Amino acid sequence: MIQVSNLTKRYAGHTAVDSISFEVGKGEIVGFLGPNGAGKSTTLKMLTCFLSATEGTATVAGYDIYDNSINVRKHVGYMPENVPLYPDMRVKEYLTFRSRLKGLGFRDTKKAVNEAMDICSLSDVDSKIIGTLSKGYKQRVGLADALVNKPDLLILDEPTNGLDPNQIRQSRELIKRLGERHTILISTHILSEVEMTCGRVIIIDRGVLRASDTPANLVRRLQAAGNVSLEIKGDAEKAEEAIRKLPGVKDVVKEFQRSEWARLSISTDSNVDVREDVFGLVLKKKWNIRELVRHTASLEDAFVDLVHHPEGE
Amino acid sequence: MRTFFIIFLKEVKSFFLSPLAYVVMALFCLLNGWLFVTMVNAMRLKTTPTSLIYNLFNSGWFWMGFVILFPLITMRLFAEEKKMGTLEGLLTAPVRTSELVLAKYFAAVVVYIAIVSPVFFFFTLFQSITGEEAAFHSGAFWGTALGIFLLGLFNISIGTLASSLTSNQLIAAMVTFVGVMLHYFLGFIYNFGTVPGSQWTDALTYFSTREHMNALTEGLIDSRPIVYYLSFSVVLLAMTHHILESRKWRA
Repeated sequence: MIQVSNLTKRYAGHTAVDSISFEVGKGEIVGFLGPNGAGKSTTLKMLTCFLSATEGTATVAGYDIYDNSINVRKHVGYMPENVPLYPDMRVKEYLTFRSRLKGLGFRDTKKAVNEAMDICSLSDVDSKIIGTLSKGYKQRVGLADALVNKPDLLILDEPTNGLDPNQIRQSRELIKRLGERHTILISTHILSEVEMTCGRVIIIDRGVLRASDTPANLVRRLQAAGNVSLEIKGDAEKAEEAIRKLPGVKDVVKEFQRSEWARLSISTDSNVDVREDVFGLVLKKKWNIRELVRHTASLEDAFVDLVHHPEGE
Repeated sequence: MRTFFIIFLKEVKSFFLSPLAYVVMALFCLLNGWLFVTMVNAMRLKTTPTSLIYNLFNSGWFWMGFVILFPLITMRLFAEEKKMGTLEGLLTAPVRTSELVLAKYFAAVVVYIAIVSPVFFFFTLFQSITGEEAAFHSGAFWGTALGIFLLGLFNISIGTLASSLTSNQLIAAMVTFVGVMLHYFLGFIYNFGTVPGSQWTDALTYFSTREHMNALTEGLIDSRPIVYYLSFSVVLLAMTHHILESRKWRA
């Protein structure tokens, strides 16, 4: 659905997007992640033909973004960052205008607008003036606008920005449902959202592509050197020694000792789960145990690991 | 063409749904209605060598109100879309920049005609009420109407260009106002005294609105101002188009 090759955007003095290449297949929901100023919005604006690239090319829905920009725009539903809308128009009036603009006929428009309003639960505010709506509703109007002509591809730039937790959950459900009909490229800061909705994640930082993989794979890569924590009662030094002899254990460090309870942190080799062995040891030595846990990395850890910058940079 | 009409209708509609349209229309009518009555009274007291039309459309009074119209009509065209970010929505829909520029431009022209045409209605109204012999001939009437129309096309293209340059409506308004004013004031350059033998005064006067209007208000339809205003409007609109397109590659 999207093929990007060596797309570059240079402004005077700095490079916003530096030769990134990726692909998005039909039917995928792809999360587009990166810190603020990483070049996410610039990339999306190039894909929707609002900006042109300094170098590189991209095809969207099979059309080149330079040579066939009108056709690209016909097949893409784009929701810009901060959802710009006309505050003095009514919801239905606005969606009708947008749907006509996107090439739908008079009769199709009526049907399409009603459908879009249904999908985004806007039917009860259809004659309200957009300027008087709450942020959540405005966001939904923007989404209804993006999908009103049933485009093959939806590009959503931070669709949940500024929503409350309830609304974020609702919009997540909505995006999941939309994923059944559309290919979706969604840029966001909210990682839990990506973990739950997106099949694949593209991470860019300072204009450079850092990763393109499933959330699970990204996390697994981090977990390779995963840690196991163990909290036991008794002689911590002896325990340390015994555990160190277990296969696959690289190191054991005592994190703290509070009264009789000691907490040990066990680091292991790649992709080895030592919990079973550790528990066997605990049983054998008859230590009292109150915690044995393997730390699973989250997408957040993966993200921080990939785009971490020292303070002040 | 289809896209043009969709945007055109939306623009016209949004103008007439805002109170600005009615305030401007009412005040412009009031100003010129008063001016009209004053002119008629003055002509009753003292005969003038020029017609009622000439007197009205050559008074500074009319022009004061007239030049202010253009910033008011055009300042929001692109500046507002830029400020709100809705330009991004428009230009990521399958809309050509040229269609957008023309739609907005002609919507402003329609609004302009709606504001200015009541003044011409005064003349026909006056005649039908008084049943008097006309104080002007129809050539002057239509010539003036043509002049005011052409001038509208030209000045609105100045405003359209100014509005595409900035996201600040006040800046757009000021640029338009100064542009329109300067063009009009070229006609007064003779009043500043001329350097004997200098061709500049003649050349600049040739461009001035006042010079063109003088001929038209007497019913003399010259093709030169027609070509002048139309071609300049096209140039200014082409510039607007390029300025909007330049967002793609500018920093």
